[in-house]
Amino acid sequence: MTAPIVSVRDLKVHFPIRKGLLGRASDHVRAVDGVSFDLHRGRTLAIVGESGSGKSTTGYAVMGMEQPTAGQVLIDGKDRATMTPAERHAVTRRLQIVFQDPASALNPRMKVRDCIAEPLEIHRIGTAASRAARVQELLDLVGLPASALDRLPREFSGGQKQRIVIARALALNPEVIVCDEAVSALDVSIQSQILNLLMELQARLGLAYLFISHDLSVVRHISDEIVVMHRGRVVESGPTDALFAETRDPYTQKLLAAVPRPEVR
Amino acid sequence: MTAPPVLAVQDLRIEIAGQPVVDGVTFDIAAGETLAVVGESGCGKSMASLGIIRLLPDVARQSAGQIELEGARIDTLPERRMNPLRGGRIGMIFQEPVASLDPLMPVGKQIAEALALDGSIASADIRPRMLEMLERVGIDRPDLRAGQYPFELSGGMCQRIMIAMTMIRRPVLLIADEPTTALDVTIQKQILDLMAEMRRETGAAVMLITHDMGVVAESADRVAVMYAGRVVETGTVAQVFTRPRHPYSTMLLRTIPRLDGARKVALPAIPGAVPDIRSWPAGCRFNTRCPLATDQCRAAVPPLDPAGAPGHASACWHRDRIDTELAP
Repeated sequence: MTAPIVSVRDLKVHFPIRKGLLGRASDHVRAVDGVSFDLHRGRTLAIVGESGSGKSTTGYAVMGMEQPTAGQVLIDGKDRATMTPAERHAVTRRLQIVFQDPASALNPRMKVRDCIAEPLEIHRIGTAASRAARVQELLDLVGLPASALDRLPREFSGGQKQRIVIARALALNPEVIVCDEAVSALDVSIQSQILNLLMELQARLGLAYLFISHDLSVVRHISDEIVVMHRGRVVESGPTDALFAETRDPYTQKLLAAVPRPEVR
Repeated sequence: MTAPPVLAVQDLRIEIAGQPVVDGVTFDIAAGETLAVVGESGCGKSMASLGIIRLLPDVARQSAGQIELEGARIDTLPERRMNPLRGGRIGMIFQEPVASLDPLMPVGKQIAEALALDGSIASADIRPRMLEMLERVGIDRPDLRAGQYPFELSGGMCQRIMIAMTMIRRPVLLIADEPTTALDVTIQKQILDLMAEMRRETGAAVMLITHDMGVVAESADRVAVMYAGRVVETGTVAQVFTRPRHPYSTMLLRTIPRLDGARKVALPAIPGAVPDIRSWPAGCRFNTRCPLATDQCRAAVPPLDPAGAPGHASACWHRDRIDTELAP
């Protein structure tokens, strides 16, 4: 197998609890407490867990939005912590993130055209004309009509807004997209459309997804590998097929048993 | 003669600025029965429940239909007679338990306050009853927890408090609007189990509003599927889940990823999105997304007609084409 694009090694992210006037750290919340996994190109690795499990914090550490207390986040074998500013800047282009709520991820005053072009402008890529062409191409890729360009985010439904966010995430040709509960806030009929879009984009562009979710049915559908987190730790991990065929950890079993199934018993 | 249903809603219509958001909704719920009202955002399911308890936002009003509680109309009651019903014979639980509780009052006191409103209980009995109820809803160390504030409790525990506060008055009708949507899946299961237990114990009729087909299958007896302000299908959970008679419910059930389904394949999606309320299409409102739609669907509203088995009904001109043309 080829080298992983993202490697997480014994990652720990602890937050100090500050009390009193001097604000000395009296204790720590161990949000992430020894997590390791490898994400390979073109694959989907899901982190599943309940609120407070540390799944999102793990995703933020991969994105460089949280600093590890200990352990490493390696991008293409290179530790984020020892990168030069130039290297770090280069890496931001290769990793993008999509959040749960597209409405708050989009500037309400910016036209769709400008929302999607913004990453290109920040990274000073191309001319005005080539950027416009790229925006058009991205819109096409996520299944939105060209008429969307000059409209504002509020004119779109939740599913369409998430398509705009995905188009923006794709603007810099990333290799990895962190999907942090990216379909959780969507209606059932829209959720499957976005899952289909993500799978289609992966097949076309060879993207790797770090798919963070609380929804076991969704995770089972989309992922190649699963990491189950509970209270900052990995309780079980492995290939999705194998893990669902036989769950070993009692917490995973409890989680699985609690999922309400849309079928008549 | 049989008793009237606990709740009977007949042709309910609710408008915002002349635009119907609930458009001729009819259903009833018997004692001890759970009816799930299921649909996507904007379908009118929450607005219908707010209409029943008459807590509609100022811009909305009931423009037609009638609502009966145990055989007596409540939609025409003066407010001074409607108000005691809320929290009394009609209990309510909402999605955000923490937001539903008073942040500045210990939770035990909030439950005691609800009980005192009953008026029939001696004040000396209130605290023991409150503690007993806390224990009933699975709160350990009730004496300690009763003195705590909502912020000191988890979301799941706050929802237990809400259930205690609501069920201690023994309502005949419980309206639960997405009661577990904000909770983790393991907590959701505990809360749904608790609600089922409370229903068995009190014989209350439950109107469970949810978007989650899994929750419907696990906890309801009957289901009403809503789309764009109307009920498009109703029946027992077994009827609707095993042989849906409306293209919307058929496709909705198929589009959900399942724990035993094929993995990493395209899900059978419903094209398009729920139409905006300002541009609901004429005729059947699902016609813009329906593979079976014809000119008839675009011209005339299909009535909610019997669809085979007793109690099963759907609003579709082409329900006989579902088996052949929407085969999986």
